[in-house]
Amino acid sequence: MSRGGMLGRKVLFSLLTIFVVLVINFVLFRVLPGDPVRAVIGRNVKLSAEAQQTLREQFGLDKPIFPDQFLDTLGQWARGNLGISWSLRRPVAEILAAKLWNTLLLIGLGQVLSIVLGILLGLLAGWKRKTPFDVFALTFSLIAWATPTFWLGIILLAAGSTWLGLPTGGLVSPENVGKPLYTVLPDLARHLVLPTLTLTILYLGEYMLIMRSSILEVLSEDYILTAKAKGMTPWQVLWKHALKNAMLPIVTLIALNLGFTVSGAIYIETVFSYDGLGKLFQTALVKQDYPLLQGAFLLLAVSVIAANLLADVLYVLLDPRVKPT
Amino acid sequence: MKRITLLFVVLAMLLAACGAPVTPQSQSPVVLRVGWLGFPDTLNPAYAFLSEAYTIFDLVYSTLLTEGPNGKYMGSLAEAWNVSDDGLRWTFTLRPNIRWHNGEALTIEQVVWNFNTFIQNPDGWVTNSGYVKGFKEARALDERTLQIELEYPISNMEFRVAFLYIVYPKDFESFATPEELQNFTNFNPVGTGAFKINTLDKDQRVILLDTNPDYFDGRAKIDQVIYRTFDNSDALIQALRVGDIDLAVEVPNSAFDAVKQFQGVTAISLSGRSLTELILNSVPEDHDPPPNRNPAITDPVVRLAIAKAINKQDLVDVVLQGHGIPGVSIIPPTLGGGFWFNRNIQDVTFDLDEASRLLEEAGYLLQADGVRAKDGVRLEFRLQYPSDSSNYPRAADMIATWLGKIGIRATPAAVDPDSLMAAVTPNGDYDLVIWGWGSDPDPDFMLSVMTSEQYVEGGWSDSGYSNPVYDELFVKQQKTLDENERQKIVWEMQEIVFNDRPYIVLWYDNTLQAYRSDRFVGFLTYLSGIDSFKSLMNVEPVK
Repeated sequence: MSRGGMLGRKVLFSLLTIFVVLVINFVLFRVLPGDPVRAVIGRNVKLSAEAQQTLREQFGLDKPIFPDQFLDTLGQWARGNLGISWSLRRPVAEILAAKLWNTLLLIGLGQVLSIVLGILLGLLAGWKRKTPFDVFALTFSLIAWATPTFWLGIILLAAGSTWLGLPTGGLVSPENVGKPLYTVLPDLARHLVLPTLTLTILYLGEYMLIMRSSILEVLSEDYILTAKAKGMTPWQVLWKHALKNAMLPIVTLIALNLGFTVSGAIYIETVFSYDGLGKLFQTALVKQDYPLLQGAFLLLAVSVIAANLLADVLYVLLDPRVKPT
Repeated sequence: MKRITLLFVVLAMLLAACGAPVTPQSQSPVVLRVGWLGFPDTLNPAYAFLSEAYTIFDLVYSTLLTEGPNGKYMGSLAEAWNVSDDGLRWTFTLRPNIRWHNGEALTIEQVVWNFNTFIQNPDGWVTNSGYVKGFKEARALDERTLQIELEYPISNMEFRVAFLYIVYPKDFESFATPEELQNFTNFNPVGTGAFKINTLDKDQRVILLDTNPDYFDGRAKIDQVIYRTFDNSDALIQALRVGDIDLAVEVPNSAFDAVKQFQGVTAISLSGRSLTELILNSVPEDHDPPPNRNPAITDPVVRLAIAKAINKQDLVDVVLQGHGIPGVSIIPPTLGGGFWFNRNIQDVTFDLDEASRLLEEAGYLLQADGVRAKDGVRLEFRLQYPSDSSNYPRAADMIATWLGKIGIRATPAAVDPDSLMAAVTPNGDYDLVIWGWGSDPDPDFMLSVMTSEQYVEGGWSDSGYSNPVYDELFVKQQKTLDENERQKIVWEMQEIVFNDRPYIVLWYDNTLQAYRSDRFVGFLTYLSGIDSFKSLMNVEPVK
């Protein structure tokens, strides 16, 4: 089968997977214990039982889950409508779009930094194996990888705001809220420093470790010995022969991380009161806001599946041994 | 190499950002920056559930009356009011010259429209519906006089109208269905209040309010208020410490002592309106569905023994770190400035020996494993609490330990709040539960929690307590206009609940807040917190 055909089939499977995920999620959220109406209004709103019943009818919760609620939801999705969030009273698509860019900005910056630094430092550590640099890098990456996100975030927040005068949270200062982001870039950058640093340190360790072990494995291969024997400089050996082969595990990891970081930034977003998707997922779950939950998990499923698809495609491009079948 | 170049560019940008000067603040406007942990769900009074929404309503909108010191009501939009002798007609005289934020004059027709809309459309105005229950009709007597006619006398009428925000009719007229009305988030409200919205960003969760220079009760002494949402209290406290905010609306118990030490910061511990209680399953045996519990929990002797085995002062000292007082009645001592709280109730004293003796005399005898039993019924109870509280786990452990000493085995368990709510009401599938309430300024709501009619799906009773005498008194206090007469009934009801023990009220917690006293003075403490509307009207910068 041609490469194009393979790609087509993979895309088709991905779409099918997304649909299955949607259906499973529909069921999962509804088997959660509790009553969404009560979750939305909380315990301390003095709403009469009749008023709660009105809400229940509006949310469509008075109808049986199957087939009524299920068909209603499917019909909405088919029309490209994700519905209206019960707790935020705004269209789900609009809420998701607003948060997506902020999360992508934070994660994008953090991932680029940690990938580039991680590959570089991992490569050096592997190359300079058993030197003090390697020991230091290994120790650092193990610690960084094992550090709890929340803890590191709070420590950096306290230190950064006390000693460097950096902001304690948010995307921009309150005075700049409402202005287009490109007009307040310095302010935005100041707000991004600490969350980005946290994210970078956390992922850096993982990338360094994988890169180091991967490069060590490659360096023991015969073709590296051959390359050295041909009289290539160490830099040429590393760059031309070792790096490309050592990249495969990293590509897998990057793809997986990219897919999951959309949800995985929840701790960092919470520590830095950053307006992103992670925090939204949590709110949706706590409030049992089915439309918002379904929309959020659709986005999550799509990003994870798309990242995997991307990894599959990259594999074929990077490694000629992976034959399209 | 390209990637490395990119890396350096990014790094350079970040470093430059570190060094950039703090955004300069112009000298003239006085801005009060408030940090809190929530954000309004909507600014539509028809459908707002979060307390943050009501904080903003108080600033933007006005009500006929407003709560003053000691639970008395003061005029706001209305300057005078009275009630007919039969209690069925309330008359309110509006102040002259009230203007909306857009400059238009407030008319009596608009006020009448508000009340009649709330009355006629309870499905749309869900959050108002309970407050206009028993209202028949509103009408204008002349261009400054409003009359509200009732179906029966309502004792807490002043409290009720103090809750009903007068909205700008043009913003709300066009909705055809309750759903359309409720999907309207009203994030740019037109009101008559002391502040008006300048910018509201619902995604970044920032609200900027400007002072309304034409406010009918005088201009606030500050120029702007900014509300900023933090997603965790550590960051909120840090922001106060470094001066990113001037007022922290919530300070955790565990951080309070540290905050007191901050330079230029004053931390405040105010008695509040909330209570935390131990719920004892009191669901009647013939209830449908029948309760699922250890039957011993209904034995009055067991209840008394449990009450005697709980050291409430210790709970306050350890769990709240001293920021609260031991609880007695379901009505917190702050309501109405203490008017509604039955101070004659003498709490049982903590006495483990006495508690053991009571159980022993009632025939609950110690078994080999240290648990008492009578006729094969062992004193083993589930002790559940909602998992979203940081205080309850500790309280549950302490209570379980005390109970263990008198031969009662209580097993603490954290349960997801929604599941717990479903298990408690109306299924009665529990023995002991720790939970809490935030009370209204009026005792009516807390009293309703103990009525039989509330123990239904969607109702507010969790104990399942059912007492016809109490239920009758509840209806009576709702219709008794004479305050002193009503007080007598309310006090009697508290005593009944105290003696029957569907609840053992554990404590009343304080509201903990802090502000930059090096920047602002004049916060008022008489309402629910120093962030109240009245307080913000009084705040001014340090000279």
